[in-house]
This record gives sequence, C-alpha cells and structure tokens, in this order.
Amino acid sequence: MIEVPVTNNTEKFNSATNSLVPTTKESLSGKFKLIFGIFGVLSVIGIISLILKITTVGFETKSGWGYYAAIVSLLLGVFGTAPMVAIAPTIAKADWHRPVSRIATMFTLAGISTSILAIPLIFALPPLVVDGIRRRSIWFDANIYTPHVFFGIAVIGLFFIGLALLWVTSIPDLSIMRDHSSGWRQRLGKSLSRGFIGTERQWISLRARIGMMGTFYFMFLIFVHIIYSICFSLELVAGWKDAIYPMYHAATGIQSGVATVIIGLFLFRKYWNLEDHIGIDQFWALSKLMFATTIFWFYFFICAFMIFWYGKSAINEMTIAILVNGPYMPIFIGTLLLSFIVPWWIIIWNPVRYSPAMLSVVAAIVLIGSILDRIRLYVISWQVYSDEMIHKRYIPLDEIPENMIAPNLLDIGIFIGFISLGIFAILLTTRLIPVVSIWERHQSILLTRHIKFHRTEVYAVGKPD
Amino acid sequence: MSKISMLGLYDNPDSAADALDALSEAGFDSNNFDVLTGTPYPEGAFGEHVPQHRLFRFPLFGAIVGLTLSVFLTSTTQIVYPLVTGGKPILSIFAMLVIMYEMTMLSAVITTVIGILFESRLPNISMNVYDTRITEGLIGVSLVCTSDKKETAERAFNGSGAMEIKSSGR
Repeated sequence: MIEVPVTNNTEKFNSATNSLVPTTKESLSGKFKLIFGIFGVLSVIGIISLILKITTVGFETKSGWGYYAAIVSLLLGVFGTAPMVAIAPTIAKADWHRPVSRIATMFTLAGISTSILAIPLIFALPPLVVDGIRRRSIWFDANIYTPHVFFGIAVIGLFFIGLALLWVTSIPDLSIMRDHSSGWRQRLGKSLSRGFIGTERQWISLRARIGMMGTFYFMFLIFVHIIYSICFSLELVAGWKDAIYPMYHAATGIQSGVATVIIGLFLFRKYWNLEDHIGIDQFWALSKLMFATTIFWFYFFICAFMIFWYGKSAINEMTIAILVNGPYMPIFIGTLLLSFIVPWWIIIWNPVRYSPAMLSVVAAIVLIGSILDRIRLYVISWQVYSDEMIHKRYIPLDEIPENMIAPNLLDIGIFIGFISLGIFAILLTTRLIPVVSIWERHQSILLTRHIKFHRTEVYAVGKPD
Repeated sequence: MSKISMLGLYDNPDSAADALDALSEAGFDSNNFDVLTGTPYPEGAFGEHVPQHRLFRFPLFGAIVGLTLSVFLTSTTQIVYPLVTGGKPILSIFAMLVIMYEMTMLSAVITTVIGILFESRLPNISMNVYDTRITEGLIGVSLVCTSDKKETAERAFNGSGAMEIKSSGR
C-alpha cells in the first residue's frame, strides 16, 4: 500500500468556497441582464406560439403536430438526458465529473419546457380506439386514454425526479449559501438546506440518496424515451415494427445530452471565469463519451436498417421509405452526416479532444444532427397518420407522401421559445446555486493528489468505498 | 442538570481525530459527539463511529406498495372490462408491464424523498452550536453533554489542539 501524506487542505477549501459563492452574484459585466432578458422574451414568444398553435391548428389536424412532436422528442434528449453525464460517472465513482456534475444536473430544470410542451401533445395523440376499432398499440386492451394519462404522469414525474435530484445534490452547497451569502440567497439557502450541518450521518445519507435518485432518474428517463418513441411515432405509422427503435431513441438522446453538456460547460467556463475549476480533463473525458455515443448512433441505426433492407417485404420497403429514402431523404442524409460522419471524423483527432472550443463546435454539429434526426422520425409519423390508414396492415408505397412538410412560423417560435425557456430556468438557478458544485470541488481537493511514482509523477485518486 | 452543546474547531483532520479519541477517553458516549465537515471525508476518517443508514428500506417499501397497487389496478380493470385482444388471455402480464413499471418507480421515488428527509434528520430544528467556517474547510467536533462536564470537555478539546471552542446552553 502506498501511503500518501495527509495535508491540510483548509486554504484550498476556503479558496474554492470563496471563488464559487460569488459566481451567483456576478453581473458578468452587465451582459447577464441582457442575456437573461433575451431568453425571457424568447420564452414568452414560445408560449404565445404554443397558444396560437393550439387555437389555430387544433388537435384534429394530426399532420400539424409533427414538428411539435419532434421538438418534444429533441428536448427529451437535449435537456432530459444531459443529467446522465453527471449520474453515470457518479455511479461509476469517477473523479473527473465533479466540476461537471452541477451543470449537467441543472438541465433537469430545463425539463419544465418538455413538461409544458408534452401536455398539449397528449391531447393531439389519437385514442386507442379510432372509428370504433382498436388500433394496434403496446397498451393492448387498456382504457382508450391510458397512454395519454400514463405518459402525462411519466413526463411530469421525470421532471419532479430531476428536481429532487438537483435538490439532493445541492443541499451541501445550499448550506454554504446559508453561511456565506446574504439577503434572499441566504434565506433561500437556509430554507432549502433544511439545517444541513455536515454530520457523518448526513454525508452518508447524502451519498446514498444521490446514488438512488440518480438511478431512479436514469430508469425513468429511459422509460419515458421508450414510451414517447413508441406512442408518438412508431404506433402512428401502420406497419412500422422495430424493436431497436426505442433504444435508438434513448441512445441518440444521450448523444444530444452529452453535446448539450459540452456546450454548457464551455460557455460557463468561459463567461463565468471558471478555468481554475473546470479543466481540460473534463473536456477530454466528455469527448470520449461523445465519441462513444456517436458510434452508437450508427450502431443502432444500422442494426435496424439491415433487418428492413434484407427483409425486403412490402412492410420493410415501406419502413425504409418512411425513415430513409422517402420524402425525408435529404433530412436523413443531413442526419447521417451531422450525427455520425462529420462528428466522428473530427473527434477521432486528439487535438480536438483537448480543445474546449473545437469540441463545442463538434457538439453543436451533433445537436443540429439531432434536430434533423427528430424531424426525420416524427414529422412523417404524424404526416402519414389518418383514422383510416392506422387500421391498415401497412402503408402502400404509393400512398406515402411525396413531399416533406416544412415547419411554419409557429413551429419555429415554439422551437426557439421552449429551448430559451429551458435556458432561462437554468440561468435563474445560477443566481442561487453555484454552477460548479462547491462540496464536490472540496471532495476533489481532498481525494486527489499528484504524487511521486518511481521517477515520474502520477495523479492519484482516492476511492474510499 | 442542564444540557449544553459544545463545538471544537480544528484546521486539520488529525487534530479532529485526536479530539474524538480524547472525548472517548474522558468518558463521553460516542452517541453524544459528532464530526461536522463541509467536505465529505471518507467514512471513519476521524476514527468516529460510522452510523448505518437504512435509506434503502424506503424505496423498497414504496416499490412494493406501487407494484401492488398497479397489479390491482391493471388486473381489476381487465377483469371488469374483459376484452380479448389478439387471442391473448384477459390477464396477460405484458399488457400490464408498462403501468406496473411506472407506478412502482413513482411510488419508490416518493418514498425515497420522504426517506431522505427522515434519514438525514432534516429539517434539523435544533442545530446546536455551529460555525459557518465549517463550510470553508474547518472541521468541527460537536458535543452534547451536561453542564458539569464542560471543563472536562474543554480540556479534551484544548488537548487535541482546538483553534476555538464554542458552547451554548439549552
């Protein structure tokens, strides 16, 4: 056993606390209010667009909800899956994630956008019995509004589990805000930290509950992805049967979640001046996750595609026409390029993985790819749906639409507005909770050290349990 | 005899560990003193008694309740409204799985949140004596004892190199 000398870290702890607590108060040279205002206005535009969409399109015109369903799916990935970047390494007891975990977990707040958007879509979803005949679904002979009720509960439940996860991981930092801030921050910190003083029992309990809530979030997130992908796209296309699709949906959601965290990390590091806390190691580690999820995109896609291509039955040909070479072929090519080929080709180079700016560019490319992917999957699903078509065994090739539906102004307004609402919620929280978890920074200082190892130095990480 | 709460503040972990040893040697019960830190030190780092949490019981209880309710809901619905779908039996488990999973998970989550509050002793109404410098990196050793033991406790704190000793009566 190598004995590492125990050093007094009080100064380092103090320095971390005193540099991170003020980040909740900094005005960022006055730019913060402007950015805050812009996202606020865009959020209002999004909400107005949503109201106009409901009143003008109505719930009966199913093809009008394709882009909307694509946006909900995108947000489930971009915002809903981002916390997985904190959860997975925590469960694996990694060290690199500590400065990243708060930023990743904060995206649970952006789930408010997904929850609000999901509710009107539930009303647009056809019941299980259409024109007196039960349509094929995973709900079999359940009550005709079962998917509506249980998806609604699931998506709102996911949001609240996310909030609980953010709260439990923030309790020690809220107690720091109670002790080292003033005014409303101190009052809120006191109220939300619930008298946390760092006893042995409280820390043991904290570790256990972070593990539990993280696991619950993961299990529920995948469940929501599965339910959403099946009910809001796969079941709406007569004849589309694909066992891999729900997992494809979740895996590509994770890809977009990783991309979101990389961009968030880059922006917070740069504009919150957190270079001392967020190092290159974090980007290096995230780049490997991004690489893996990018490969996953192709893996899941090709697994499904091969079956349809080799099968060559009328149903298989229809499925390929719907997803690949039909009216949305340009969108598919864009997805293939931006979700797989381009990011994969860029990210294989070491210098890119070491560069936060370059990695953020790759992440932005992946996000554009994700947008195209969701359009490819959802817009046509809602476009081909009709009360008559849903009962057919499959959609004949000559009845597949020839042209894409283009998004209208309301779709664009909802897209920009609800992404802005998510960012607005995150920015609002940065006024109370530091974007880098102070207690996890302390833990990192406590458990990591450069030590001499034979004739070199190594980075030693302590893993107590 | 009135009870008092005392807090010794230390700037390094070894001194705090010495304080726990000194308090034990002075005859204080280990249930009456605790280490307060703003950093999650590894369990037992100060040689302290490590309490066992029972947090896992809460989600387990919640999951059992949720599962039972979901089985009841789905099976009674199918029995009350018997519709044969695709030639499958009325009570087919696959038709019930989605709802069973969701209700089990949600119930487990709700009871876990309740368990978090219960197991963490939150809200901590009687915070005893506390110092905000603990969240800056100092280590606190808190002790609850009767007022006649105050001097003994102070000797134990001072002997182990406390930077400062605070106390309050209750």
